[in-house]
Amino acid sequence: MSQSPLPPRALALATRGITKIFGPMRALDDVSVEVPAGSFHALLGENGAGKSTLVKCIMGFYGADEGQVLLDGAPVRIDSPRQAQAQGIGMVYQHFTLVPCLTAAENLVMARAAAPAVINWRQETRGLEEFMDRMPFRVRLDKQVADLSAGEKQKLEILKLLYLDQRFLILDEPTSVMTPSEADEVLTLLRGMAERQEITVLMISHKFREVKAFCDGFTVLRRGRVTGGGDARTASVTEMSRMMIGETELRERAARESRGLPRPRLVLEQVCAEDETGRQVIENLSLTVGAGEVLGIAGVSGNGQAALVEVLAGQRPMSGGRLLADGAPFTPRRADLDRYKVFGLPEEPLRNATVPRMTVAENMAFRSFDKRPLAGRFGILSPARIRAQSRDLIRRYNVRTSSPDALIETLSGGNVQRAVLARELSGNVDVLIVANPCFGLDFASVAEIRAQIMDQRNRGAAVLLISEDLDEILELADRIAVMSEGRLTPAMAVETTSRAEIGRLMGGH
Amino acid sequence: MPSVSSPQDLPARPRPGVFSRLGHALRDPVLIEPAIIALGALIVAAAVFSLFLLVLGKSPATFFSLVWMGGFSSWFSIQNALQRAAPLILTGLAFAIPARIGLTLLGAEGALVLGGLTAATIALPLQHWSLPALVILPVMASAAILVGALWMGLAGWLKHARGVNETISSLLLTYIAIAIASFLIEGPFRDPASANKPSTQPLGPDLRIGEMFGSSVHWGLAAGLVLAFVLWFLMARTTFGFAARITGGNLRAAQGQGLAVGRLLLTCCAIAGGCAGLAGFFEVAAIHGQANASLAAGYGFTGILVAFLARQNPLAVVPVAVLFGALDAAGGLVQRRMEMPDATMLVLQGVIFLVLLVSDTCYGRLPFLNYTRSGDRT
Amino acid sequence: MSQSDLMIVLYAMIGGAIRVSTPFLFVALGECLTEKSGRINLGLEGTLILGAMVGYAVSYNSGSPWLGVLAAGGGGIVMGAAHGWICKLPKVNDIAVGLAFMSLGTGLAFFFGKPYIQPSAPRLQSLPLGGWSQNPQVQQALSVNPLFFVGILLAIALWWGLRNTRAGLTVRMVGDSAASARAMGVNINMVRLLATAAGGFLAGVGGAFLSLSYPGSWSEGLSSGQGLMAVALVIFARWNPLRCVLAALLFGAAGALGPSLQSIGISYGYHFFNAAPYILTLGIMVASARSKSAAKEAPRELSIVK
Repeated sequence: MSQSPLPPRALALATRGITKIFGPMRALDDVSVEVPAGSFHALLGENGAGKSTLVKCIMGFYGADEGQVLLDGAPVRIDSPRQAQAQGIGMVYQHFTLVPCLTAAENLVMARAAAPAVINWRQETRGLEEFMDRMPFRVRLDKQVADLSAGEKQKLEILKLLYLDQRFLILDEPTSVMTPSEADEVLTLLRGMAERQEITVLMISHKFREVKAFCDGFTVLRRGRVTGGGDARTASVTEMSRMMIGETELRERAARESRGLPRPRLVLEQVCAEDETGRQVIENLSLTVGAGEVLGIAGVSGNGQAALVEVLAGQRPMSGGRLLADGAPFTPRRADLDRYKVFGLPEEPLRNATVPRMTVAENMAFRSFDKRPLAGRFGILSPARIRAQSRDLIRRYNVRTSSPDALIETLSGGNVQRAVLARELSGNVDVLIVANPCFGLDFASVAEIRAQIMDQRNRGAAVLLISEDLDEILELADRIAVMSEGRLTPAMAVETTSRAEIGRLMGGH
Repeated sequence: MPSVSSPQDLPARPRPGVFSRLGHALRDPVLIEPAIIALGALIVAAAVFSLFLLVLGKSPATFFSLVWMGGFSSWFSIQNALQRAAPLILTGLAFAIPARIGLTLLGAEGALVLGGLTAATIALPLQHWSLPALVILPVMASAAILVGALWMGLAGWLKHARGVNETISSLLLTYIAIAIASFLIEGPFRDPASANKPSTQPLGPDLRIGEMFGSSVHWGLAAGLVLAFVLWFLMARTTFGFAARITGGNLRAAQGQGLAVGRLLLTCCAIAGGCAGLAGFFEVAAIHGQANASLAAGYGFTGILVAFLARQNPLAVVPVAVLFGALDAAGGLVQRRMEMPDATMLVLQGVIFLVLLVSDTCYGRLPFLNYTRSGDRT
Repeated sequence: MSQSDLMIVLYAMIGGAIRVSTPFLFVALGECLTEKSGRINLGLEGTLILGAMVGYAVSYNSGSPWLGVLAAGGGGIVMGAAHGWICKLPKVNDIAVGLAFMSLGTGLAFFFGKPYIQPSAPRLQSLPLGGWSQNPQVQQALSVNPLFFVGILLAIALWWGLRNTRAGLTVRMVGDSAASARAMGVNINMVRLLATAAGGFLAGVGGAFLSLSYPGSWSEGLSSGQGLMAVALVIFARWNPLRCVLAALLFGAAGALGPSLQSIGISYGYHFFNAAPYILTLGIMVASARSKSAAKEAPRELSIVK
């Protein structure tokens, strides 16, 4: 690694008693965090614990209702991300803020608060090359961001902050889009810079491994409150997870009934698919899911999982290969879905599985509207029966809605997912395709939905679970395959593999 | 979140009476919101247009009273309004039905022109063989419907098979249809007797569709009313309409349900084209008696506005079409009495269209409607 | 068709292509800029007609055709800014708003244009670039309006500006990733409003060309879909101002087909040949839809390519 000549002027940041109230909810309650200059601090917490709210208060997206932010010991007022930037605080967001159609160089120059009105590219490129030479890692300047890999984009995001001379970096789950080796590379470099007092890092994470390996201090948030903190190098994972999850035990593998050799229900043979620009996103993917088992597909997001789900849902054409259900050729058309009893729980159900402007009752009838008893002769519908059916499902699946006639978009995320679950799982299920079913849901909903999936497995359904949450896969799956750059590894029994091996495969090794 | 079942979900409620159901409907934002916003938009548009008139030194009061006189005040003017509403109902449906499946299809004008031309030309050989009118008229209507359906189906097919944006392709197809029609009317199908205004040969008197029940309103109005109801029923109460609404509401969800999206799209486009073609048939058989440039009178475009104001509801298309028919009917009166150009009504339509679209932003934000009543936002 | 007839058609096509392409070029450049910012303005058809009327009326009343051109552009700015303002409201669809402006622009132009159908206004003078030739057809073909060259310079300037100026890069940012632009503190609604207003200006100028140069008079049938075809043309040119010039020339040539054939007495099927640009547009849309390279170059915020 080249010697970095950045002057050692890392910033120290602390929050004092920050409270943020959204309507009836206290999103943050008296939160004090201390991040000394040159440290690599982890902010741990479950989904919805308040981590994002806290950093957004620091960055000036939200004004805190109480409390203050101290920078190098002195209170500062930050009302907008621009002001935070001016103070030297920069943030890398989970979703990228790079512009895909611009090159890396164009993105960097435009990120400057005062980019020149007319840009002299020769001069700018020289300046950027010099900057890159001083950095521990680099990205090709003339490449369009759209053509960069997710890891490269993340690196460019970090480079952008350093280019803007930001010395306090907030990283929001920076490694969620990286392979484990890319993640290790980037975190090692950042840690080195922090050790040399060049920068201070505050990293939001829920990966204990990374926190243990790279961070020095950590703070845990739960339901908007600080529930603990300390030295990441000495604290044990069990301690940290107890602070995060509270009284609840860490989830074990779900209870399951074991069976003999399963009968193959869903088979994919050499499936290929392309994206809109003609790039191959799935290459010769083959897999078999048997009756009464859960096949989990793990992988870092953006490695073709979304395309795979779309192929199986009929939302994207295959450019090669074929699908079999019960040994017969299968296309995701309604007749085949009904014949082979194929059901699906896509991620983001409001976007993928419902019509927001139709009622709860209508949305719950999507699978059955064209069959008796909902449809009578000549395809005439009975609104009364649609409503009656949904009333029954709403009760059985605890969907919280004021009435079956409410628009489904007025329901909360967990209730939309429950309504879709009720629609898809209330009949006989032979094949179930599930994608990230618990994205953004609260603890209770997550447990309930996972229990439903396991219940289907135990009743003999073949379940294909595609998830970016490795813990979810380890909890539910019988066998695991890993997807990386559009290819799938052979499936392995959960008992014979390890987290480390899966991590290695996720990196394409 | 604790999982408790809310008390409303308990089964076995007694069936509510008519009045309580009506009262329920009047408090239901899903039902009354569009009515309130559409009416509000009309009032605002009238105000904006009044301002326009005031700036020009004309009296808005005179204008609106002339519109009332010309469109609604007498049996004569009402008939006139209904007469013009007939094609507007059909072209309004031609926009509304594809809109329900998520397509902005503007080809009604072209389908109307081609449908009318087809009806006018197919009648000639049949007339020649002296078939009875009761045979020829249905053939003419069917041919017009078929040509219209094929023409607008083409835009739907291009959308489905090739991913061509249907808004632009259908507008281009309209220009192409009008060019083809001009070519045929001035060329091969021209009646040599039509000197100043090139036209096809006129239909025989027995092929002219008469008026309904002694009024001066032709049967196209009845056809429009029947079709509006039939298409409302199709979209609201059949499996086809249900599948179409899923597709229009969320294409990805429809694909995930394995629905035959392409077939639904094509069918909706074909229905739309059929409606427009039928409008062309009535224009020829009931109004002009032959096909000429008057067929492209803009009904196809006004129909778009009609459908927008009706929020793509086939039943609501009827009253809105009557309203615009009345405006159209009053146009001549306004032109004569206020000495304003005939484009006045175009400006009014443009203002209504624009205000209507701006009013879309009010959905979900009316302060006096209780939106959360129908769901728990958490 | 004899040899000389062929030459006549050829000259007429070249001259026609230059003349007919000029309004296409202006509208297409305007639409290109608007679409680069992530909005689509179908209302340019209405702006074009309004521009033609305003340009003609101002030229008639002031005696200066160039003042007419500017006034037409001013009208376009008003229409474009209104479009940009309305589209920023939530739940409002930019395609539908474009349709409304198409109808409003046409209505206003016909309303105020009635008194100007008869009188003759001073036209824009063309540059006689064909003076070197004795052939009257060549002279006629190469009598080029200065606006054509203005349009080409504008295309180059736009192409350069989109890569080398902060304003240009900001427009591309807004059109490609509104979220990123917002995170950088860019007011995306303002950028789009300005881009749409500038697009309206160009469309208005294009309209003025119609009434003040070629065909060179104000009538209600002056524009028939050029504004709309320009939208397809921009897709065909893949949002590159330089390719817009070539595409405009191609469309111009297609539009000149009917009149050129008429000039040697082929008038049968005149209407049919007049449909050539529409058919060409449709063909191009069919060919470039789902084109993978086009998908790559499309501004990602554009509703029409989503």
